[in-house]
Order: sequence, then structure tokens, then C-alpha cells
Amino acid sequence: MPVNRGLVVAAARLANPEMSEMVPELVFAFVLVGTILWISIPFIPAYWELVRPKDASPLNAVGQDSGLLTFFAASFSARMTAEGLLGTAVPPRLSDGSLVRVHNLMTPLAPTRTPITDVVVLMDDTPLPAGTSVATECLARRTFHGGPNSSYRAILGQRDIKLAVGSSVLRWVHASGRLEAARGTILSGRATADREILLESGVRFDRLDAPLVRVVGGGGTLETPIMPMSSYAPFTPENAIALGANYWRVRGDLEIPPDTSLGGSLIVIGNVVIGAGARVQGSIKAHGTMHVKPGAVVMGSITARGRLVIEDGARLSGPVISESVVVVGAAVVGMANTRTTVAAPRVTLRPGATVYGAVMAADGGASVK
Amino acid sequence: MILMLANIGLWICISVLAAYTVRHYFFTLNRLFGRHRQPYVDIVHADWPMLTVFVPAHNEERVIRDSLDALLNVEYPVERLRIIPIDDRSKDGTRAIMQEYADAFPERIFPFLRDDGIPGKAAALAEAMLADSGEIYMVFDADYIPGPQLLQQLASPFFDPEVGAVMGRVVPLNVGNSLLTRLLDLERTGGYQVDQQARMNLRLVPQYGGTVGGVRRAALEQVGGWRIDSLAEDTDLTLRLVMNGWDVVYQNRSECYEEVPETWDTRIRQIQRWAKGHNQTLVRYVAALLRNRRTLPWWQVLDGVLLLGVFVVPLVLLMGWVCTIVLFYAGYPPEWGRITVLAISSFNTVGNFAAFFQVATASRLDGSRERIRMLPFLLLGFLVSTLSVARASLSRASWLRGHPVAWQKTERYRAARAGQSRPGGGGGTPREPGDV
Repeated sequence: MPVNRGLVVAAARLANPEMSEMVPELVFAFVLVGTILWISIPFIPAYWELVRPKDASPLNAVGQDSGLLTFFAASFSARMTAEGLLGTAVPPRLSDGSLVRVHNLMTPLAPTRTPITDVVVLMDDTPLPAGTSVATECLARRTFHGGPNSSYRAILGQRDIKLAVGSSVLRWVHASGRLEAARGTILSGRATADREILLESGVRFDRLDAPLVRVVGGGGTLETPIMPMSSYAPFTPENAIALGANYWRVRGDLEIPPDTSLGGSLIVIGNVVIGAGARVQGSIKAHGTMHVKPGAVVMGSITARGRLVIEDGARLSGPVISESVVVVGAAVVGMANTRTTVAAPRVTLRPGATVYGAVMAADGGASVK
Repeated sequence: MILMLANIGLWICISVLAAYTVRHYFFTLNRLFGRHRQPYVDIVHADWPMLTVFVPAHNEERVIRDSLDALLNVEYPVERLRIIPIDDRSKDGTRAIMQEYADAFPERIFPFLRDDGIPGKAAALAEAMLADSGEIYMVFDADYIPGPQLLQQLASPFFDPEVGAVMGRVVPLNVGNSLLTRLLDLERTGGYQVDQQARMNLRLVPQYGGTVGGVRRAALEQVGGWRIDSLAEDTDLTLRLVMNGWDVVYQNRSECYEEVPETWDTRIRQIQRWAKGHNQTLVRYVAALLRNRRTLPWWQVLDGVLLLGVFVVPLVLLMGWVCTIVLFYAGYPPEWGRITVLAISSFNTVGNFAAFFQVATASRLDGSRERIRMLPFLLLGFLVSTLSVARASLSRASWLRGHPVAWQKTERYRAARAGQSRPGGGGGTPREPGDV
């Protein structure tokens, strides 16, 4: 057995006193080499990336579309213009090979059980059949009339868009005119319009943006007139710590009494109630909840870490920010000439709620009865 | 006696490093599994406040054009935006470039020129702000290139009246130029994507970094304005704001390109300057911060103390290594047997590599698939930083206070363009990610 003989020879050599003295050094050298080899392993791909970089460009940071809700609609519109889909003769294919389906009164979209995977161009305002499913983008050259219980990936409407009961949009929808969403509609992603967005009750959404966003129904919106500060009794919070001119911090809950006015900005380490008919000229922050009572006017921003409720008839210039929930009743947020933003993880809009600008609900929003 | 001191020293080192290790892992796990807190980033429409953007510069002719061009192209109401480049006794063409832009945009760019007074960024900012009445002050170093949405994004947190300062994310532009720039890219990623954002998520103390950020005038005045005797005026301001009850907000999606050092010499000087400034701030505020525990939540006090001590950690680490070696070769028996062995081995393995875990997580969150391969080389950067910072922490300047600070400049590498662009023309400024 040659292996056994080799081992015997090695053992005999190690038994030699001179060799046995070298064993610690040999073990050390062996461990050292092994450690170096072991440590070197992750350096192989590192060295490879260094000499042949695959990912050495700056992070894709500047120019992201985070602040531009119409980014996808604008990109699609530009692409459709470049592809000639906005002309009188629509090409049957796009440059990437995608098929284009053109429908009008003469060739209406027929009911189908399978999702449509071609780009759809609607040349007139013929209503779509119920249960339509379009898995790609849809371009409506005139007013878009969706059928009930239909789903769309994305819609670009060159005029108004009317989504019927139970519709859903998966990515984005943009109307150059008005966007109307009937009850049960789900607007995932971005829903924007150049004129206004009208929601019935029971619509779910993520992000809305238009000069005017309104929930129809109920008794309509109550628009409280903005009276001059001098027509209110002035209010200054007690035990407030002054942070500057008309800038205070208050510890504990605070109620701004009804029909009084507060001129300045306020940070409240507690809950805040803005009384009915009160007016605030400045910004308010609540560490807890905030309640804006009917007829109250806030010409400034309001921020709350907790639930923020704006009751019927209140009026705010905005922005309205909460780290929890915002509930907007039949109140007005923003001004016709100065758009604003309502931003919170969850937003609930009640009938009559009117927002001039954007409603951003990171975890989802809804219009309710 | 020496052995006993080494033993005590080792346990102190282990305790300090354990605190920072827990911090690193806690922040990283928060970014992996916690809720991403960004309450202001969705504000897209508003009655935007009056904004003044300061661009302090001292011999910045290589980069100032790109910065001014980018600022002229931002989306912010023109009537509410004033751009004030500050020239502090430059000896190159910086002042002439500023004047050129002021002539081309007399209603938008208002240079502030300094030939005397105390030199330095903080002193320049303090003086320039006296001459302006804006509500919000933004500061961009001259080599920074803001994107079109950046000013709106950075202004949006100020609708919350409690916000005193805002910090955006710094993204290296010259990533692929050398091994060092690639390592700094990884470090920045870890620092912002994980460290700063986790502190934002957890309502701790995100740091205002002195550039790509802004401060509310009312808050600045309330805490006493800029300190001209600090090497780290940004950290100094952060601490004063927090101790006075103001929020400092970090916005991860408000990104801005910067140029990182390309040579080790420059990098070592930069990090030593940061270390000295940070240590000055530590000495100045740690006691006040601990005394403030009645008005601040304990977690903010703890995070503030750990933030202040972050540049002392390399010194502690080296001390720990020295103590370990001394005790080992002296044959000193571990007092608590297995616990000691576990503590030492943990501090030399898990503890030291917590920062690597953080960087790897940050790369993953950024969606970078390949650059994470460079992580082993970060060991090199780690060793250089450790030695440089430890050396800086041992220097006398680290612990001095009350001395005005002159300009401390980082060398610029962006090549001066052959043909100078016209003001506002954006010549050479990367506008789209693919262009850079």
C-alpha cells in the first residue's frame, strides 16, 4: 500500500527531533497561506469589477420623476406623437413591433373575454363594452367612455375620460379635460387631469392631481368666506414658548377657541382643535391629532403626526400633511389660483371634499359616503 | 499595573464598539424591514416660500459654472428664488464668472463679494445672510449640481413649522474615476441610504450636512446663527437645532450630484478635517446634550451622543487592538473566561464589519447589482480612514475651541472646459442620468 508507506515515511521524518521542531512553523505557514487564500476569495469579483467595471456610473438620481405626476402620460404622448398615432392615418405597428388596434363607430371594440395586448387607439367616443380588459396603453382621441367592470393598464385621453362603475386602472390615467370615476373604480398609480377630477363615492386611489379634485354627491361643498383678521377676536396661546416673532411652541393639548384668530405659526406637543369659525394666519403642527372644525379658516399649512380631520365648511390654503390619516369633509383645500397638496399615508375624501391640486395617499386613499 | 490598565481599556473599547455595532445593525435592519418615513416628499403643489440659495465659493472657477447653470434651470417660482453666489477672496476667475452670470441674470443672481472680514464658509454665510431677508436659506457647495426638482423637494419640509433644517442626499458624480471614488461612492451610499434615512425613520437626529440642504431663518436666528469658530459648522448647527427642539429632516429622494476626492491625499485631508470638526463639536455639546435629556426624548439624546462620538471610534478601535495584543502576549488570563473571548472575537469580527453590512444593504436598496462587488476593497478605505481619523483625533486641533476657521477646501478635479459655456446654457451639466 503506497499511501500507507508514504504516511509511515512522513511520520518517521516528523519523529526526527530536527523536523519536529519545525512543525509549529509549518503549521503557522499553512494557516497563514490558507487564511490569505480564504480572504482573497471575495477580492476576485472585486478586482474583476475594478478592472472591467460594469456598474461604475453615478446612481440614477437627478432627473427622477418623483415630483412630476404626469411623467408617464407625457412620455407616452411624446412617443405616440413620434409614432404618428395622433395623425389621421394610424400605422398598424409601432417601431418596436407592437400591434396597434384602431376602433371607431364603424369598427367598435367587440366584447372579448381575453385581455387585449395591442395598443388601442379609440378614434371617437363610442362607449366600450362591459368587461373590457386592455393590458397595454390606450389612447383616446375623443372622450373616453369606459364600460362597466373594465380594466386598463393605462389611458391617455385627449379629451374627457369617463370610467364606469367597477373600472380599474393599473398604472396611470391622464385626461386632457376632465376625469370622472364612477363608484367602485380603482385608480392605482397616478390619475391626473388638466381640468378636473370628479370622483363618486367608493373610488379608491393612490395619487390624484388636477387643478380641481372633487367628490360629488352629498350636499355639495361649503365654501366659508375668508374674513379679515380684524373681524375676529385675537387669540394668543397661554404658556407658549416664543421661538421668534409670532412663532410659538406649546406643550400639551391646545384648542383655538371658536371665532378667534391666531396670527403666527404654532408647534403643539399634543393634540390641536381649531374651533368652529376660527382663523389662523400661519402654519400649525400637532404632535398628536388635529381637528379643524366647521367654518374654520387656516391660511397656511397644517401638519399632524396623528389623524387629521377637516370638517365640513372648513377652508385651508394648505399644504395638509399627516403621518397617519387625513379625512377631508365637505371643505375646501387650496385656492383656485394656488394649487396645494394633501399628503398622508391614507386619505379619505367625503362627499363635497374639494382640493385644488394633488391628493397623495402613499398607502391608498378612498372617497367614501 | 499596565496589564490592569490594558484590561480596563479593552473593556471600555469593547463597550463603546458594542454600542456602535448595535447602532449599525439597528439602522440597517430598520432600512431592510422598517417603514420608510418621508412625510414631505409628496408635496408637489404649494404656495412655495421665499427661498435664498447660497453658493459659498473660494477659488472655484472649475466648477462654479455648472452649479449656477443647474440652479438657473431648477423648477421653482422665479419670483420666489434668489441665488446668491458668495465669493470669499478668490484668487482665480471665480468672481469674474459670478459677475458674468449676474450681468446675464440681474434679477435672479445676486453675488455677494467678500474681500475682508473673517475668512471661511461659516463666516461668509453668516455675513451674506445678514444682507438677505428670505424665509428659507439653502446652501450648495460650488461643486454641487442640483436637479430640476431639488429645490421644491428640499423646500417642502419647511411647510412643517417644526422643521429647522433639511438635508438632501449627496450622490458622487465621478464614481468611475479611481478605486478611491468607487469606495467613496459605497461609503456615501451607506451613509445616506441607510444611516441618515434610518435616523429619519426612527425620529432620531438626521444630520444637516452643510450642503444640499437648507435651514429656516427663524430657527437659525433662535439658535444663534452660524458659528464661525467650528470646523464642522453643519454638525454644530444640527446639535443646536435639535437641543432647541427643532426637527432636522433628511429627504432620501432629494438627490444632488457632487464631486468626491480622487486622490488619497485629498481624501485623508478631508476626513481629518471632518474628524477635527466633529470632535470640536463633541467637546462643545456632549455635556449640554446630556443635560437636555429632560426636554429631549432619551433616544434622541443617545443618538446625538453617538453621532458626536463617531469620529472617536477609530481611535477606540485602535486602542482595543493594542490592548488585545498586549494582554495576549503578556499571557494575561481572561478574567471572565468565555465571556472575554466572545467579547474580543465579536468586537474584532462582527463589530468591525457592521459598517460593511450597512453599505451592502444600502447598495441593495439602491438597486445596484454590480457595485456591491467592490465591498472587499472597502477594507482598504476602512483602514486608511481609521488611521487618518485616529491621527486627527490625537491632534491638538481636534479639541481646540473658540478659534475662527479659515477656508478648508477640497481639491476639485472637474476639468475646466475648453470652451466656456454661456451663462444659463447648462454647458456640460449633466441633465439626464445617461449623460453623466
